[in-house]
Amino acid sequence: MKLRLYILVPLIALLSTVQQTGWSQEPFFRRHLLGEALENAKVTLVYESSDGFLWFGSNRGLLQYDGIEFTVFKAPDLPVNNQQVTAIFYDSKFRLWVGYEDGSIFFLNNYRRLQRWELEEGQPASPIKGIAEDRNGVLWIATYGEGIYYHDNNHLYNIDTDDGLASNDIYVLSPDKQGRMWVGTDNGISICTLNQGKKQVEHLSKANGLPDEIVREIVHDAAGNCWIGMNDNGFCYYNTQKQTFSYPAPDWDIGVINAMTLFENRDLWIATEGNGLWRYAFADKRLEKISDNGKKLRKAKIYDLHRDIEGNLWVVNNIEGVCSANRRFEYLTVSFDNIQALLTDHKKRLWAGTGNGLYVLENSELAAFIRVSSLPENANVVSLYEDPYHNIWIGTYDEGAYCYNPVSHKIRHINEKGGLTTNSVISISGLGNRLWLATFGGVTALTLEGNPFEGGKITFQNLNNESGLGSNFIYKSFVDSKGRTWFGSDGKGISVLEKGKITNFTHAGDIRLGSVYSIAEDDRGHIWMSTDKEGIFEFDGKNFTRLSVKEGLRKMIIMGLAANQRGDLILTHNAGIDILDPVTKHLIYYDDEVGIAKTEPNLNAFCADAEHNIWMGFGNQIIKYCALDDTLAIHPRTLLKNVSIFLEPVDFDAAPRFSHDQNNLIFEYTGLWYTDPEAVRYRYKLEGHNMDWIESADLRAVFPNLPPGDYTFLVASSENAAFDDEPVVRYAFTILPPFWMRWWFILLVIITGSVVARYFLQVRDKRLQQAALLKKEKIESQYEALKSQINPHFLFNSFNTLITIIEENPGLAVEYVETLSDYYRSILQYREKEVIPLEEELELVRNYVFLLKKRYGDNFNLHIECDSGSKLSILLPPLTLQMLVENAVKHNVISKGKKLEVAISVSPDGRYLVVTNNLQRKMTAEKSTGFGLQSIARRYELLTDSKIIIEETADAFRVRIPLIKNEKDESVNHRR
Amino acid sequence: MERVHYSVNTTSTIMRFLIIVIFCSLQLSGFAQPRYKISEGTVYFKSDAPLEFIEAESPEIKGIIDVENRTFAFSIPMNSFQGFNSALQREHFNENYLESNKFPSGTFSGKIIEQTDFSKDGEYTVRAKGKLAIHGVEQERIIKSTVKVSGGKIYIASKFTVLLKEHDIDIPRIVFQKIAEEIEVKISATLIKA
Repeated sequence: MKLRLYILVPLIALLSTVQQTGWSQEPFFRRHLLGEALENAKVTLVYESSDGFLWFGSNRGLLQYDGIEFTVFKAPDLPVNNQQVTAIFYDSKFRLWVGYEDGSIFFLNNYRRLQRWELEEGQPASPIKGIAEDRNGVLWIATYGEGIYYHDNNHLYNIDTDDGLASNDIYVLSPDKQGRMWVGTDNGISICTLNQGKKQVEHLSKANGLPDEIVREIVHDAAGNCWIGMNDNGFCYYNTQKQTFSYPAPDWDIGVINAMTLFENRDLWIATEGNGLWRYAFADKRLEKISDNGKKLRKAKIYDLHRDIEGNLWVVNNIEGVCSANRRFEYLTVSFDNIQALLTDHKKRLWAGTGNGLYVLENSELAAFIRVSSLPENANVVSLYEDPYHNIWIGTYDEGAYCYNPVSHKIRHINEKGGLTTNSVISISGLGNRLWLATFGGVTALTLEGNPFEGGKITFQNLNNESGLGSNFIYKSFVDSKGRTWFGSDGKGISVLEKGKITNFTHAGDIRLGSVYSIAEDDRGHIWMSTDKEGIFEFDGKNFTRLSVKEGLRKMIIMGLAANQRGDLILTHNAGIDILDPVTKHLIYYDDEVGIAKTEPNLNAFCADAEHNIWMGFGNQIIKYCALDDTLAIHPRTLLKNVSIFLEPVDFDAAPRFSHDQNNLIFEYTGLWYTDPEAVRYRYKLEGHNMDWIESADLRAVFPNLPPGDYTFLVASSENAAFDDEPVVRYAFTILPPFWMRWWFILLVIITGSVVARYFLQVRDKRLQQAALLKKEKIESQYEALKSQINPHFLFNSFNTLITIIEENPGLAVEYVETLSDYYRSILQYREKEVIPLEEELELVRNYVFLLKKRYGDNFNLHIECDSGSKLSILLPPLTLQMLVENAVKHNVISKGKKLEVAISVSPDGRYLVVTNNLQRKMTAEKSTGFGLQSIARRYELLTDSKIIIEETADAFRVRIPLIKNEKDESVNHRR
Repeated sequence: MERVHYSVNTTSTIMRFLIIVIFCSLQLSGFAQPRYKISEGTVYFKSDAPLEFIEAESPEIKGIIDVENRTFAFSIPMNSFQGFNSALQREHFNENYLESNKFPSGTFSGKIIEQTDFSKDGEYTVRAKGKLAIHGVEQERIIKSTVKVSGGKIYIASKFTVLLKEHDIDIPRIVFQKIAEEIEVKISATLIKA
């Protein structure tokens, strides 16, 4: 023993130095290049907004990063190439605030452009070191030089040393869960609050036990306590309940701390100014430097750190610019190859079985494996197990099994001769003092009656084909939480031993299970198994459910399957590692982005430790999967970055209603998955556009010429091509129809149309009625005229006249009869017509007058004073003048002494035809029907808008008839 | 945010004290302490309400700046404002709203945030953090000013808003539409070495 110790001491010394050059177990850092446009930009700040974006502050402005490229946002009135961003904050109203070195404060407006924050109070003139919001939505701004400002009730207020602030030079502003503002200054910590608008400042200084008063970083943990990073004295922990400080690393000589970030209950990451990145692990209280596998981070100035929602650690530094590492995975590259079995024991030692012996990582601080020299150097170790007596059982290929005591270094060999089924022990599992050794000849059950190294007896029991096992070639034995033992076989599916009874499952429904490589149990007690061809199966006690490539598996051959009692199932295969949520079946893929080499994993090269980490061996690399306590995202965050119409961004706050010609839309979206941005795929559709989901790798969707309508743009992103469980982002909008297609316009047109139609119909009806009336009037007047003309009086008078002239002047008599005849013919002829030219009417009147004159001689005279033009151009209803003349004759005395003079003339204004007679009323008037004048008046009413005018003076009777001009002749005829 | 009402006596006592302190220190310090006082200046305000536009001005601003300590104190007698749209309005201003008898002065005193060197000629933008007392109610304010230093004189121009409710100036509902809730104030002053 002493000898061994002598050997060990220098070995430890040697290993300690080795550790300095990098045997550390740490995540894989990946560099994110800024791109050509930003080649010389110096990034000093990283911030994650709650919508999921990562933002970086550089000397060239604000950068937005989607995992693939950096987009610069320039502050419009700052120098283009000198706008050092020193603070970024995304508030509860979804507004991104940006503070600059020169004290300027900008925000990202609704058009995704930076806009200066205009304040009556003006902006600070000192560097903005932090922006935060308290629980009342008050915005706080910390400066280096002017203390802290807050914006409340539209005023900007200041808290500086005059108000009790420790110093006006602030390094960090960090609100706690209660919204209290922790301010790290060069003179201790001030905790600022507003109590009903009143400033309140508390102090933490050397007097309280703060070791170094230059406080450069404050990180609050979930318990409400905080980690404080200082200028000279490293970091300390402040318990806010007990108000005590503790120093995990009192001898800190690593230099100035620039930033820190926390992984809950796991570790604190520390950025130093010129001395690289450090980690303080809580479990073993170990401070270690991150070697970055010997790369450049070691000597970098680390400006800022951030843990993102996926569990990535972001490191902003002067050498690599922007780096990130997935904190879920840690790597340890070892000097030996071909790791075939892994085991963590009760002392947290890690055992690694290889094709050439067994190694153990005695103490993680040494971070170096030591070969177990008790075992033959060429032992081909394929399985490992720790029994209840803390002995390590080592299964080999072809060499049987060994039982090794790590304390005494004693070893015991058990082989076929000693009772094993065969010498190839592929898998070992156990429960209590019973061990199951799976071999290529069945299963050997060992019962340990006490520690074998202290005289405990071992009894053997073999299971094989004959005892009912489906196959003798067993790859895996596994004991579940119900005490059942499962055996995965070569080609014959899975068998379970329960209460001494073996059940074999060769098929899951119609599917042949084939070879079962690996078995695990999730925290609901379901058994999971991986197969050589058919993916993995879940057995809930009754039924098998398969998960294959169709359901999102990357490979059908899954070598390793492990569960960590944290709801994670880890699948290893030759494309990398998949993490499966056994309930939702959500898969996350990990491969080279997080540093996993694409090598063949081995069957038993994984194990779970007491802290729910899972260790996996890939060649010469050991990967640790850490189940983080932080609440992490498992989906890409899908964001609609921009909606633009004809390339002009749309205001997201405004109602999404666009006019009919605003119909060329571009949607720019992104699915933020910083773990593996290249793997993100999208699918989108536009509801209302008759479209199915479109899958795409593009970051934009273009819709030109959308017709008016209601639409919803939906987009989802997925990192594993399974979209069904991915959240969908929507943008509903309306393209309004042009005004001539809107309902109110159509309604207006219909109403107007119907009003107009109704009007026309009314007019037409009226016209028809008028025509009918006219016709009736005409018939009546003709009838009346006929009646009057053949009234016995007229005929009697005419015949008397005729008698007197027959004898005196037979020639005149003939003419008289001819005229009488013409007169009646004319009456008959005009009967049908509505209007006749004046000339024809005058002809008729002349005939009538001729007849009258034979009776009255010169006692009756008619004067026609119309020029020939008006005779042709004037129209009037037939018999109008005749009736008026007849009226005159009928109602007036005609005698030698009282001659009747009738005149027909056109009025001076040319609007009327005037029939005038001197008035000498008969004392015994002939009985008048009054029909004549009435009939004329009515017919004129129907024909024209003007009325006939009847004037009676003491000695004259005058009738004015409105003139109807001949050009209306056509339309008048048409009306018929 | 502090709302402290001072009685007549307290306010005037404070002001008197302030002025005495300032002037005493002036006398005592002599040339060693670089102090500037207002030689001439005006305070102008306007109320732009929907129904009425009111403006008034006073040349009676007094004040002093200690350019070394960057402290200052300005004061204006409230009843010295002239302008308004009628004599009655002016009376209301003094008697009903500002209660000039009770609270005779408006003051602003405090410290300049920027570390500006006032001994050098040039134009600067400075922010003054101090207590603005109007109508006996003190409010902490930051007021931005442009300062021009030239030939041993300091010219100050600034513009800020006073919210009536912040100074407990109650406007009867009837005249609500005639008096703005936000009063725009402009100050311009020339300071010479004291």
